[in-house]
Amino acid sequence: MPAVLTKQDRKLVKDALWDNNPVTLQVLGICSALAVTVQLKTALVMCGALTFVLTLSNVSISLLRNFIPSKIRIIVELSIISSLVILADQFLKAYMFEVSKALSVFVGLIITNCIVMGRAEAFAMANGPWKSFMDGLGNALGYSAVLILVAIPRELLGSGSLLGFKLIPDAMYEAGYVDCGMMVLAPGAFFLLGIIIWIQRAISGYSEAN
Amino acid sequence: MAMDKNSTKYTFIFALIVCVICSFLLSFVSEMLRDKRELNEALDIKKNILKAVSLREPVDAKATPEELLKVYSDKIEEIVIDGEGNKVEGEVATEVERAIKESQNNIVPASGKDARFPLYIYKEGDEVVAYCIPIIGKGLWSTLYGYFAIEPDAKTVRGVTFYKHGETPGLGAEIEKDWFLDNYKGKSIWDVDKSNLFPVIVKKGKVIESVQSEKDHYVDGISGATMTSNGVTAMVDVWLNAYEVFFSKIRK
Repeated sequence: MPAVLTKQDRKLVKDALWDNNPVTLQVLGICSALAVTVQLKTALVMCGALTFVLTLSNVSISLLRNFIPSKIRIIVELSIISSLVILADQFLKAYMFEVSKALSVFVGLIITNCIVMGRAEAFAMANGPWKSFMDGLGNALGYSAVLILVAIPRELLGSGSLLGFKLIPDAMYEAGYVDCGMMVLAPGAFFLLGIIIWIQRAISGYSEAN
Repeated sequence: MAMDKNSTKYTFIFALIVCVICSFLLSFVSEMLRDKRELNEALDIKKNILKAVSLREPVDAKATPEELLKVYSDKIEEIVIDGEGNKVEGEVATEVERAIKESQNNIVPASGKDARFPLYIYKEGDEVVAYCIPIIGKGLWSTLYGYFAIEPDAKTVRGVTFYKHGETPGLGAEIEKDWFLDNYKGKSIWDVDKSNLFPVIVKKGKVIESVQSEKDHYVDGISGATMTSNGVTAMVDVWLNAYEVFFSKIRK
């Protein structure tokens, strides 16, 4: 990592990736994690959109944190977040139309993704812009890592491909191999997500009771 | 700071500034990307017409926009007909369709001599292979937009697509999936016994379980999406009836 990143910055990112991962530890953002992970490509675009929204919303809310009247704090955060989401959606519609159709409402639903609102309220309102940027980036990467980990087995086992490229040879299908239909449906994501959370918590030793 | 941060005045001014900045930014970007977006949408519509008419040689999924437009202009003839089923010269089908979409009562198409309808004809050389009409109507949450193509006998369905809707993913949004659309292929819109129009109906449950006389006219429903299915049934009915004057002329 470059020297401009202090130990604290690195901790912010690492925390969100592992010790306090928004999906596996806080179990936030599950709705979109289930919906967009049938294919790796849609998952990647979703990760990009969320990273854009989360880092910029954290930075702009942090810049404004001393000016935002506390009574209308939530609605101001929401205005900024939804503006950024609409921006991301507009760009997708203009430059990645096919993917944007596949993602349908889920880009718009980033507005209600608890991770974005949660980081704005819990972190950006109390910290400076650089730290908020690192925190937003870390959480977005933490979310993205889980999404990609769910999307890879889902597309591979469910459709026999990755990023649209057929990986399972035709010979296997002729020999009687069948794609796992469950992976294409929401329960497939639930099982995978459960397994990922299990493995992660087994390694980190985290438990709800503590 | 000059003003008390918790005063009503400050709160109002702050909210106003946030609103103005956000809306200015959004309208600026939206306007900037408008051309690009509309180009994508127009291309998507053409792609869906090609899909509805089930080309004999399907376009490769990875075809570039230019290739797609070339196939479209080679194979599809766009014409405008009036409410009495006669061809109208000098009007553009896509603009007629846009006008229908923008009109308030797009659920009930107009009728009579002054009414205008777009018609997309799929030709291989001089041979007409399919007629394609737009279908527009309300689903559960949103307006559904699609195309409905029939064979030159004006009795058999050749293909259906939906290209724009806001239904629930996994439920109503299944209407755009191939398993649902493929249902329609080969179904009949003609009641042989009564010699009249019999638009395809989306059934509750599976067609295979129904009586023989229904099988030609019904397609499998979507469980959990009864309202969307009913919307699809209704819009197919409405638009097939609107074009019936024209289809009755070509039907033998």
